Amino acid sequence: MTKRVKICVLGIMLGLVLLTSLAASGQSKAINFWLMPNAADEIHLPWLEDKAAEFQAKTGVKVNIEIVGWDVAWQRISTAIVTGEGVDVFQVGTTWNPQFAATGGLEEININEFGGKDAFIKANLESTTYKGKCYGVPWFAETRALFYNVDMFKKAGAQPPKTLDELCEAAEKIVATFGEGSAISLAGTNAWDLLHNWSIILWANGGSLLTKDNKMAMFNNDAGVKAMQWYVDLVRKGYASKACAEYNQPQADAAFVNGNVAMCYMGPFNITNIEQENPGLNYDVVEPPAGPKGKASFSGGSNLVVLKASRNKQAAKDWIKFLLEFDNMVEYTKNLTHMLPSQVEVFADPYYDSGVWKTFKTTLEYSTAYPPLGVWGDIETITQDEFKNVLAEYVNGTYNDKTVEKHLNAAADRVNEALKREK
Amino acid sequence: MGTSLKDKAERKAYWFILPSIICMLIVHFIPIIWGVYISFLDLDIYTLAQWTSAPFVGLGNFIRIFSGKVAVGQKFMRSVYTVIVYGLITIPVGYVIGLLVALLLNRNFVGRTFVRGIILLPYITPDSVAYNVWRFIFQARIGLVNKYLLQLGLIKEPLIWLVGKRALTAVIIASIWKGWPFACLILLAGLQGIPPELYEAARIDGASPWQQFTHVTFPLLLPVTKTLLVLNVIWNFHAFNQFYILLGGSPGDAHVPSTFIMQEAFSNLHYGLGSAMSVVLMVIVLIMTVIALRIKRGASHEF
Repeated sequence: MTKRVKICVLGIMLGLVLLTSLAASGQSKAINFWLMPNAADEIHLPWLEDKAAEFQAKTGVKVNIEIVGWDVAWQRISTAIVTGEGVDVFQVGTTWNPQFAATGGLEEININEFGGKDAFIKANLESTTYKGKCYGVPWFAETRALFYNVDMFKKAGAQPPKTLDELCEAAEKIVATFGEGSAISLAGTNAWDLLHNWSIILWANGGSLLTKDNKMAMFNNDAGVKAMQWYVDLVRKGYASKACAEYNQPQADAAFVNGNVAMCYMGPFNITNIEQENPGLNYDVVEPPAGPKGKASFSGGSNLVVLKASRNKQAAKDWIKFLLEFDNMVEYTKNLTHMLPSQVEVFADPYYDSGVWKTFKTTLEYSTAYPPLGVWGDIETITQDEFKNVLAEYVNGTYNDKTVEKHLNAAADRVNEALKREK
Repeated sequence: MGTSLKDKAERKAYWFILPSIICMLIVHFIPIIWGVYISFLDLDIYTLAQWTSAPFVGLGNFIRIFSGKVAVGQKFMRSVYTVIVYGLITIPVGYVIGLLVALLLNRNFVGRTFVRGIILLPYITPDSVAYNVWRFIFQARIGLVNKYLLQLGLIKEPLIWLVGKRALTAVIIASIWKGWPFACLILLAGLQGIPPELYEAARIDGASPWQQFTHVTFPLLLPVTKTLLVLNVIWNFHAFNQFYILLGGSPGDAHVPSTFIMQEAFSNLHYGLGSAMSVVLMVIVLIMTVIALRIKRGASHEF
């Protein structure tokens, strides 16, 4: 009896081992590629599959494509790093790249294989680095600019703003015509873009998030306090609706896209939203209004990285090179994602000098990347936490002159604590 | 001879439960043991890729989460406090509503079965759907709550519900709506188990409806009530969906342990701290479960 069971168990285990090894041997000519929903699925997937087929015909390597939502991507990737399995090459947000590099789970990249340092936009290349080494290849770039509703501006007799002061002047006129909260739409406590949007104001005020050596927080100095107060004032003065305090980024964007609000800081990817939801919207884009210390914007986008534990690193790198080819980049940014290329030479295509793209291209030239740190995730969480507390105080009616300073100082203490862990 | 046969049968039974025990070991117990082990490690973003060689810090993580001096400790204790306040309100209120409705539904009237089905709607609606609808209801600009409060003249301008001091209130209201039908269902089953002769006897003795309730109905519902309350307390400590959906992944002062653990462990990649907090939460729930089993045993003795 027991003998028979033992044989059974042994047999099952043997079968399992055989099955897994068969599956593994079948995978040797294939790589797994994860990316985020950078374009609408109905056009995104067919394009990717076409490209994968083209790549397979060229190299004999099959690419298994999986689109992973931004909300779950962070966890999927950390799991892949812990287990060393599931994926060979994948997309990461620019701010994620140094963090995953810090885990030791990403393959170091020799950027010369991909055209060298000068081939890429500086801020995007910087986002692939960690401790001076490169752990990814910039794929596409994005930056934030000010979208405005042309019809609402005309009716209110307002001019598209070039400076932050002009933004407030325009907002006064719009509020006078369309009522309270109609001038600008902001994401509040539920926004993952809160830090990006505030940073634009901070930099324009001459402030900085961290000191030059990235050892200490600096956003709680005068420039920081002023920038945050300016941001909250948009709500306090009635330019933005009080309800913005509870908005997440899609809600804030929707208020502009639906034509209810005259201005919003958004990225090129939002153009897809407008095309899908409200194609009749008469809008234009201007560079982010300048502050007392000049113009500034946030540099974002995505990079492609290779898992260190991958068994097909060469094929993974070949796939990256293939995606970065001139025509593929133009197609991917122009027809699918409405992002911008992060390769300098691709901007030679006349498309990027047309319409709103010229504005984004110009903005991209001076936009700033966040410091490439392993603890960046903590810094982002901490600062957003405290920003939320500022807005919560405003909602609770306890906001005063000292509120911003108090919470920025609290955030700075916690950020300094986190920076001590940076190895 | 008889005993050896019985032994043989028992041995056979072990073979039958073996597969499920192996599965339980793989999917439950081994990960739990790993989780407990991780709570003693300084496992964060820097040690993630080679997590087995992360430095051992003993009780360091536990000291941090109970320390009032560091942010993570303050926030964790605050989250435990929040979940207790949340439970102290939602559980009794849900119970009272459930009991009242159960008493009404225990009478004979036309369409009783239909109404019984209808009241289960909140309970059977998936959490994600129900709480997303509540998120809309509570929205400041377009939400129904503000609309009615304004119409009734109770407020002069729209309130912000999902941020700041009213956030917990919003979650509590939505959770009570979602939770009371379960209490009602269980109590209704309890009510139907009470023999009608007892009421007949009480009436003959001249008991008023209130006396019937306090002397017959309520005492006989006590075992069900105990089980219900203990189950609710256990679920309460796991509260996650309602907070996550209504308030987002980082609800500030309205963090409960589950949302905070998720943020620390999976967003900030502080697995060591996250595991330590999970272990504490597990111990709390284990204690509750032991109490629950005791009470259940006590309850079965009574009948």
